[in-house]
Amino acid sequence: MHEDLAYASVRHLRHLLKNSAIGPRELVSLFAERISAHNDVSKAYITDTSALAEREADALEGTEALFGGIPFASKDLFDVKGVPTTAGSRVFYDRIADRDSTCVARLRKAGAVSLGKLNAHEFAYGATGENPHFGTCANAYDPTRIAGGSSSGSAAALAFGLAAFTLGTDTGGSVRVPAAFCGQVGLKPTAGLVPTTGVVPYCWTLDHVGIMARTVTDAADILSVIAGFDAEDPGSVNVPEENYAAGLEEGVSGLRIGIPRAFFYERCDAEILSHVEAVKRFLEDEGAKLVPVTFPDMSQTRTVSLTIQMPEALSAHSTHLRDRGDLYGEDFRAGLAVGQCILAEQYIRAKRFIARYRQETSRIFKDVDLVLTPATPIIAPKLGQSHVMVDGVSEPTGNAVTRYSTFFNMTGNPAVSVPCGMHSEGLPVSVQLVGRYFEEALVLRASRAIERNDKFAIPLPDLRTLKKQ
Amino acid sequence: MERLTKSTVTGICTQMTSQLWKEAEISELTDPKLGVITGFQDLLEELDALGKIDLGTLPPAGAVQKDTV
Repeated sequence: MHEDLAYASVRHLRHLLKNSAIGPRELVSLFAERISAHNDVSKAYITDTSALAEREADALEGTEALFGGIPFASKDLFDVKGVPTTAGSRVFYDRIADRDSTCVARLRKAGAVSLGKLNAHEFAYGATGENPHFGTCANAYDPTRIAGGSSSGSAAALAFGLAAFTLGTDTGGSVRVPAAFCGQVGLKPTAGLVPTTGVVPYCWTLDHVGIMARTVTDAADILSVIAGFDAEDPGSVNVPEENYAAGLEEGVSGLRIGIPRAFFYERCDAEILSHVEAVKRFLEDEGAKLVPVTFPDMSQTRTVSLTIQMPEALSAHSTHLRDRGDLYGEDFRAGLAVGQCILAEQYIRAKRFIARYRQETSRIFKDVDLVLTPATPIIAPKLGQSHVMVDGVSEPTGNAVTRYSTFFNMTGNPAVSVPCGMHSEGLPVSVQLVGRYFEEALVLRASRAIERNDKFAIPLPDLRTLKKQ
Repeated sequence: MERLTKSTVTGICTQMTSQLWKEAEISELTDPKLGVITGFQDLLEELDALGKIDLGTLPPAGAVQKDTV
């Protein structure tokens, strides 16, 4: 397959399809061949349904549909009718979806074609993407390193050129972190904007559906298709439909961008900080005003998040844990046992802390339009690395990689990770932009301004040198 | 608050739980080996600290609302 098609933006592929420069069947087949060639190394796909996709593509010849013939793939937590949903676990070995999840249904209605189901940390429990059942996704820039997680396959599929865009879920950074590690754009929309109906839950309070794409414009186009109220999702918020790509080229002039005084720039790789400084200078040069902001005390945010995650996960898994408990991975069962021992008052108190975080964060957004942070404090760690050392402090890998992202799952603000350069170790570096509720268009607009600057562009991975680890 | 002991967790996990837990999982709560998440004792101590912060009458978080600027 031509590399230029494997790594083309959805916008470009739509242009080629519209002008009959390529047909839907041909495009799907090209991706199918590529999955066949690279899945052994990438481990991106759990279930490859590209043969089915080729037949669907035949029916899309000459279609006028917005995404007609665009091949995508979803994390294996999203139901796709007639296809297994494993959630990256043996527990769901016999679970075949009888209908599409809402997001997949909306994309298919727009003409997109599902290539298959993508690898993930078991039941989205963990940010490293390590999976004992289906293998751990490799990073396309260095296969000795992780792609990140929990939406590991969603990032790996894009970085290896195995789909035009992907869906993932983000409970503490599980879209933004792997997107950052693999040089992709990762969008976590406002809580409730994109329905979670038909997506295997991990933690209802913190779960968000997210998008990974090659470009900010693609992410905006995809969001325009999948956002919107769904009565079947109790967390869905009814807001007017929007074209999120409409004002993307308007730049950042006049915007006030908050720079956190503490926490988000602490215990961070020096080179990452240097890249973020370059982004700050660029935004100022473009007419944005940088404003120091003070977030609430972050020292207990992980505790608050865990105190909500584990009881909710236990509740979500109670039936299967009873019936198929032995099929769960050891680490996930241990986490669920923690959920069993958290008291109801502690859980409620944690949710009250979330209310406080939201109040204090909304106060910050009265003074600024956006907040800028590094997306992660470190580059992609090595496969199997349980702890990382940053500024002389050892930290569990899963904690470290989500340190800057988890907070915004609790507040529910929209957040994007967007590439801003390459680390000297040959891995992508990204910034995170966060906005007010339902102001995805503004977050994406500023992300697009960064993306448009060639200085922040990153090279494609060189797959010729990759070997199965 | 006293340190959590295995006998306490064993009591909870055999007398008032919704699931059956293995011996290893009960041990993991008081003597963590996997290290995937914060050890439960550490979590309890952090929760104890959180419990001392006065949240007034603030209710739990619900759905998000559009910010007013």
